[in-house]
Amino acid sequence: MSMPAMPGWQPIPPQSPAYNAVPARTTLARPPPPPPPVRAGRRRTVRISRFDIPPQDQTPEKKPMVWPTPVREYVGRAFEPRNAMPGISTEAVQVKLKEIINHFAEHKMLTELNWAQHPLPQQIIAEERKFAVALPSPHVSAPPSFASHMHAAPFSFAHSSPPASPQPTRKRKSGEVLNPMLDEENLPPWRKTNNVSLKDRMTFGHQDKKQKNSALNSKSNAADLEKRKQRFQSNNVDARNDSESDLMPAGPVVGTNMCLEKPYFRLTAPPKPDTVRPQHVLEKTLEMLGQKWKTEKKYTYMCNQFKSLRQDLTVQHIKNSFTVKVYEYHARIALEKGDLGEYNQCQTQLRALYKSNLGGNPGEFVGYRILYFVYTCNKVDMNDLLAELTPADKKEPAVKHALAVRAALALGNYHKFFRLYLEAPNMGAYLMDMFIERERLNALANISRAYNTVALQFLSNELGFDSNEHCVDFFAAHNAQTLLEPTMTGSNEVTYRVKVKEGAGLFDSLRAAAFGKIDIKGQI
Amino acid sequence: MQTALEPFRKAHAARNAWGVARLLSPIASPDNPARLYNFYRATNEHLVENDVRHSLRYNKSNKFSNNEFNAWTDIFVSYWRAVGHILVVEEAQNRGRLEDRQLVDRYEAWRELANNFVKYFAQDLPSWATVAMYTTAGHLRTFAIRADQQLVALGTSNAYTLSLQENMVPTAPENQKLEEAARIFHSLFAACLRDRNFDPDDTRKWGVYYMANLQFKTFFRLRNINLSKNIIRSIDAQSDLPPFDDYPKAHRVTYKYYLGVIAIFQEDYSTADECLTEAWDGCLLSALKHQELILTYLIPCRLVTKHRVPSQDLLDSFPNLKHMYGPLLSCIKRGDISGFDRALTAGEADFVRRKVYLTLERGRDIAQRNLLRKVFLAAGFDDLKEGQTEADRIRKTRIPLAHFAAALKMNAGGEGRIQHLDDDEVECMVANMIYKGLMKGYISREHAMVVLNKKGAFPGTGV
Repeated sequence: MSMPAMPGWQPIPPQSPAYNAVPARTTLARPPPPPPPVRAGRRRTVRISRFDIPPQDQTPEKKPMVWPTPVREYVGRAFEPRNAMPGISTEAVQVKLKEIINHFAEHKMLTELNWAQHPLPQQIIAEERKFAVALPSPHVSAPPSFASHMHAAPFSFAHSSPPASPQPTRKRKSGEVLNPMLDEENLPPWRKTNNVSLKDRMTFGHQDKKQKNSALNSKSNAADLEKRKQRFQSNNVDARNDSESDLMPAGPVVGTNMCLEKPYFRLTAPPKPDTVRPQHVLEKTLEMLGQKWKTEKKYTYMCNQFKSLRQDLTVQHIKNSFTVKVYEYHARIALEKGDLGEYNQCQTQLRALYKSNLGGNPGEFVGYRILYFVYTCNKVDMNDLLAELTPADKKEPAVKHALAVRAALALGNYHKFFRLYLEAPNMGAYLMDMFIERERLNALANISRAYNTVALQFLSNELGFDSNEHCVDFFAAHNAQTLLEPTMTGSNEVTYRVKVKEGAGLFDSLRAAAFGKIDIKGQI
Repeated sequence: MQTALEPFRKAHAARNAWGVARLLSPIASPDNPARLYNFYRATNEHLVENDVRHSLRYNKSNKFSNNEFNAWTDIFVSYWRAVGHILVVEEAQNRGRLEDRQLVDRYEAWRELANNFVKYFAQDLPSWATVAMYTTAGHLRTFAIRADQQLVALGTSNAYTLSLQENMVPTAPENQKLEEAARIFHSLFAACLRDRNFDPDDTRKWGVYYMANLQFKTFFRLRNINLSKNIIRSIDAQSDLPPFDDYPKAHRVTYKYYLGVIAIFQEDYSTADECLTEAWDGCLLSALKHQELILTYLIPCRLVTKHRVPSQDLLDSFPNLKHMYGPLLSCIKRGDISGFDRALTAGEADFVRRKVYLTLERGRDIAQRNLLRKVFLAAGFDDLKEGQTEADRIRKTRIPLAHFAAALKMNAGGEGRIQHLDDDEVECMVANMIYKGLMKGYISREHAMVVLNKKGAFPGTGV
């Protein structure tokens, strides 16, 4: 098992489809990402020259390395706004750039290479992505990384490979067509015409789903081919032969469906664009669903619709403030109906979405998470969550409330707890409904040890019941109605006293049973 | 190389587990500070494999089976390479000029050594190599942590590999190497656990607790404590381990410590108390650092299980603990609830980081009990009845709720502001005291009185 020493750079792990690398784009509607400010570019340049000394053969005499001017210019060019490519983030470029320079530095070719004509990192990335996505099975054959570019010399390097290694030209396939030219006038075809698909190439959280999708993509070639043709038919990739166009990337789907409603089906194959709704339609769908929810309140229908809505977002890799809105909406109605499974799915996604700062109501949902951990009595996660909270988080009303709920229960302060229950913000009360009965039993167990008898009114108040009737129902539901003792007041009204002490044993066992079973569905 | 491996041959012939482990250590022993240097100088990159092979093959003292021979060869070759990196780092550190990837390289070289143990340990190496195995693993952890620190300091570090793995929820990049090491630890742990050899003199099971501890440590650092439960479970399920008491004390104490801490996190305080007390009792008197760690958790735990605070003497001998817990504990003693709340808030960051916040929070009950007890004491005694003497007179046991309310309100205020506290909440607090067994008695709502037991109104406090 003795492994070779790790090289400083590695080929892209084969299991990941290449388009995964695209970091978050924030909105769909926006034009290609705003070019990084020149200042930032310079900063990066500095960092690269400071830190990115080739890792492997570091020798002391190489330490005070001064990068040749062409290299520095090349780095500068890579971050120039006009060279930015849609869908390729500056981070990705940075990493690639580092890889390139390290590679040549390692082979001591920094000075020999014609940097002025070397393809920019973003162009190499674009090439790699295409190639990787087009591979029949990404799980078996490694997508060509920069490293394989260097050794197998594929097309993108054909015209500009280092003079030191003449082989690449020999292996050129259809080089000229694919040459990513630096010339502004002569933009590569995918940059000029295919903005839509590249623009939509966004990352999405579900790693396994992604992998499944890409695996499926590669299997069902027929469907793929059709889809790809559709998307790329406008490209003037004239010199490319048919087998090459087969290898076009199967990036995210771009929907063409205009219907507002769509039932949810679990996908077993990549969706056809005509079954997927684009974002502007989805926005109308959400509006329509909002209306329907207010008037009809049919949860099964809503859940189904929301799942298809989320699915359409997923397959199109739409990850922006609208996505957040959809997940938040679904999470709320799932809470309202006590559908913890769907709620947890949404909460997991939202957690990730909030991390990318896409807006929404993170405070509200952190509050739900705290309440949820109260519900599941998950001390370990609660502790971690408390450690995560920033002072700013703690000022959020929902978080404040949830923390107060937690503290009240931790100290057994049922009085405060039921006050907090009555004034829970947002949908917090629905979440608290999950454990309100349990806490009522807990409080009763408590009260039954401290009092002999109490007035029903007192219990009804303390336990947060709407009315004495509900309180009586509660006792009846737990076979404890015998503890109620009617008394007559002066005005001939019947009131009850509750012989709580007699019920102490009963409440204890009910309480233990209630804490014993916590249904955990798809917990985060 | 012949001379360099001579100590190994001797130790091997004598089945000297610690001797072999020391030879495979990344630290030169104090009596032979140039050991690593000499070892490294004994050969060079081109010859190392042949040299090691040759000097292990041709000697009179040892007879290796073919498999064992290959195992030791690979181990010493990878050890030799790792030593090279260790020396580079040492030299660089002595000159104060540590270069960018040197710590990472050292880790990676040492990882190869550990991987050779993964490969050969279960089958080809003698069972007494367990010691060498786990010391190697122990050092791997240290090297991994240092390597990760260097990667983080490098900044750009592993953004590249990371961005391909997960976009929406990036895993903590700062622990890339340690996570890798954790996987190696697990293979080695499993190899120890599953060894079929039951002979106590010849089993790899002696490595179980060391490896478990190493994994706990790693999981704690990776902030993935939940994984520890699997380790505990698999040890509990293994019925054929040698008796726990026969394990080295160091392994036992550490294991119990972690069991206790994990139990605290799950609010299983009785188990925690038991385990931590065992760890405390077994801990070396000179190991102050360890004692401090144990007390960090044992103090909050005792607060909950036995309602007890540590003595002033004990706190005085641990300044860190005194600084961390001192204010909180004295508030509890005084029954100063608002002071307690302030101290808890002040130390919150620290407490949450050590994950004792939820435990300490429960100390509020004790502070409250002490306050209410003062009210009880202040109420004084019933008038002497006939035949009663000063010695056996009885305290007033019927305390108006309003008195408790006043005490709580006065106390809960803090900085002049009276915290909103209505009478029902006061009742609720008293009810809690009774329910939790901190007070004995009952509340009479009609009379707005708390009727306390004549004997032991506040159990365990002498009244």
